[in-house]
Amino acid sequence: MRKLLSVLLALCLLGSLLVPFAVAEDQEPITLTYFYGAPGDQPNPDNKIYKMIEDEFGIKFEFEFLAGDLDETLGLKLQDEVYPDLFDGGNSAETLIDAGALINLLDYVNPEDTPNLWAHIEPEKNRIITHDDELDEDVMYIIPNYGLGEGEQIVNSVGGPAFFIQKQVLAWDNYPTIKTLDEYFDLIERFIAANPTNPDGVPYVGFDILTEDWRRFCMINPVQHLMGRPNDGEVLVDVNKDDYPTETFINQPYAKPYYKKLNEEFHKGIISPDTFVMSYDQYIAQLSSGIVLGMFDQAWDFGDATNALLTDKKYENTYVALGLVYDEDDVPAEDMPEGWTIEEHYVNGSLPNLDRGAGISVTCKYPERIIAMWEKLLSPEWAMIMNWGIEGEDYSIEDGRLTMTPEQFANTTDMEWRKSNRAYAIWDSSPKRQGYIMEGDLAGNCWEPGNQPENVFGLMNDYDKDFLSHYGFSKFGDFVNPPIELAPYGEAWQINKDPINKDYQDFLNIQDTQLPQVIMAPEGEFDAKWDAFVEAINPSCEVYSNFMHEEILKLVAAYYGE
Amino acid sequence: MTNYTQGTARYVSPKKKGFFQKLASQWQLALMSVPIFLYVLLFNYFPMWGWRNAFLDYSSKKLVARGITPYIGFDNFKWLFSRQDFLLSIRNTLAMSLINLVFGTVSAIVLAVLLNEVRQKMFKRTVQTITYLPHFLSMVIIVAMAQNIFASNGPVNDLLGLLGIQPVFWLGEGKHFWWLVGIINVWKEVGWGTIIYISAMTAIDPALYEAASIDGAGRFQKILHVTLPGIKSTFVILLIMNIGHLMEAGFEIQYLLGNGLTAEFSRTIDVFVLEYGTSQMDFGVATAAGIFKSVVAIILLLGANFISRRLGEDTLV
Repeated sequence: MRKLLSVLLALCLLGSLLVPFAVAEDQEPITLTYFYGAPGDQPNPDNKIYKMIEDEFGIKFEFEFLAGDLDETLGLKLQDEVYPDLFDGGNSAETLIDAGALINLLDYVNPEDTPNLWAHIEPEKNRIITHDDELDEDVMYIIPNYGLGEGEQIVNSVGGPAFFIQKQVLAWDNYPTIKTLDEYFDLIERFIAANPTNPDGVPYVGFDILTEDWRRFCMINPVQHLMGRPNDGEVLVDVNKDDYPTETFINQPYAKPYYKKLNEEFHKGIISPDTFVMSYDQYIAQLSSGIVLGMFDQAWDFGDATNALLTDKKYENTYVALGLVYDEDDVPAEDMPEGWTIEEHYVNGSLPNLDRGAGISVTCKYPERIIAMWEKLLSPEWAMIMNWGIEGEDYSIEDGRLTMTPEQFANTTDMEWRKSNRAYAIWDSSPKRQGYIMEGDLAGNCWEPGNQPENVFGLMNDYDKDFLSHYGFSKFGDFVNPPIELAPYGEAWQINKDPINKDYQDFLNIQDTQLPQVIMAPEGEFDAKWDAFVEAINPSCEVYSNFMHEEILKLVAAYYGE
Repeated sequence: MTNYTQGTARYVSPKKKGFFQKLASQWQLALMSVPIFLYVLLFNYFPMWGWRNAFLDYSSKKLVARGITPYIGFDNFKWLFSRQDFLLSIRNTLAMSLINLVFGTVSAIVLAVLLNEVRQKMFKRTVQTITYLPHFLSMVIIVAMAQNIFASNGPVNDLLGLLGIQPVFWLGEGKHFWWLVGIINVWKEVGWGTIIYISAMTAIDPALYEAASIDGAGRFQKILHVTLPGIKSTFVILLIMNIGHLMEAGFEIQYLLGNGLTAEFSRTIDVFVLEYGTSQMDFGVATAAGIFKSVVAIILLLGANFISRRLGEDTLV
């Protein structure tokens, strides 16, 4: 008996020796370097969520936020082959993939080992997982950081492209419904005529066109939307035809009326020449000061300005997204693509944010640990922590509904507060739960506080509530048509243009240099400048259109599993 | 021969000594220059190994990622010189370099002469400090300031407005761009540029000034006949060195201050290389442009040196 006891004791001791050993293998504290492909704020050292992540996964992060030009920064990192463990290439992540800097996540992600991750990507796996012909294997380098929502698509507001207008301009004209370019610019003209300056005496700017670097989309993208398509980047695709005819729209006759209109507005002083020499920082500063009445942009692109306006309580200076389209008589019938009808579709069906988010670099020593973390972050418990925070502290549950007080909700957009209370960078670039909670006690709530109806409507400021009531709307998303069904190829702007990169660079450079001149063309010279522009850009447009058409056909085939 | 004593050994002509003998006799000096020698070797000669990239095809990222870069001869160079905008970028680089060189040198010499004439030390020091300061600011800050100063409704146009002149679209018209860069560079670097000239002036023998005074020379005559000739050799050396840098018009200022409207005048070789080379990771094209720049720089440097020698001035090599 004593012998048995001592053996048992010895085994226990041995076991207790093994336990820390076992922990050491997958919980040994590690520090991962993390490059985040956008500017950002370093979290505070006492950040509570990062603390929890460290406790749970034994992982600490050393962040590097983008300072300077993204492509240049990535180019240098790739050249030096110094990779962070977690590599978020921001809007140029495909560069990392092409350069072979990221590991193929399919080596780790499968239905057995990572049920949460698999369930997360499963509905869209035909888009997310692609086949690399050269390697002859299925690949997934990045799990999309957004767009894999559960349940019905939520459109509380327009998060993407639209023509924006300050709420006070609509209010001033007694809340009109604006659907066409003419109505839009006419309203801005009348507002400026009646109110040349804001209450502080600063002159209003009618319409801004941002052109800095890749944000040139504010200048070159609107035509497709005026033609009634959601964002396909720089091409117009006829999704109603079997062979998906694809063409760049900037060199087409139906693009001319838009730039003609801008030219007219330029001569009326609604568009200032300064807009073409503005840096992004100056643009955001101008928007934040509340003097810009309208612009074409994507809502996420000026989020900082919106937040600044909200912080200053300048609610009347914040923006409404309008879905403008060409009026019937704007474009002569012979200039239209064959069989084309215009119907407003600014909002597309929900789309996985392909190739966007963090990947794991080939030099990372702990890919399993990262995968395990992502897997766990998708569990209901952690999804709540990442999205909503800590119960009782950041939100509470009342009768099965997730609720936030006005202060708690205001915190979620407060950059300073986030530094200590949100793992924002990790949340932003990791796979995450979005849409509606479908199971459990909390079913019917939204995964994200910003989408929860109570937060959207109940905590909306009084100005916005009153504003919407004049339209009889319950949310700002009601200003545009409901989402159109997503095309099988997704959204064409996501297609990697590297194989034709020099032609693509030409395509962009010609627009950069000549479109501002077209818009600012002296009266009587517009037609000549437009023709010269079209002639200059046609060769690169042809290469680009053909390339995009081929790629779109490939994507369509892949989507249908052919 | 055996009659030579120790004391007469120093009369042996140094020319008869071999290189290594001379080196051995100056071993302390040689030792001191080892770090610089290594520095040049490591950072200037060793990287030339990378020149081979100019003859390789980097256009397919997938192939590059797997280490496959086929040899393509002079195709990268041919592509560069087939591009109208690359030729324009050479023009822009040289134009802005020349403007910078002329503006920079003239302004530095004028300011140095003026400072040299100031007798009140406090005033002189204050002016020196204020003019140095912008040198230490990052170009990003300088350009942000310039964008506000030269904006349509900025102070410069306000000033012109007071004089009854129509506002000028400084930042959006290509024809102003080179001169804006010249002016901004003068403002940033003029104080820094005076340092060498002022130190050269302090080395001028005061007896020369006294002699000139006795001969009845006034202030301007002393500047003209004593100060300026006194800094001539410094000026020539700096000029030769700067000519060697003519292909470097700077990169930051053009990249930050330029925009679509001014691209035709603002795109320098470096910016072109960034757009079509580095940011697309086509290191072949980027290296080819780099080699072209180096070759032109060497020709310019040797040319300037040759002319300087012909004119009987100091030379660099």
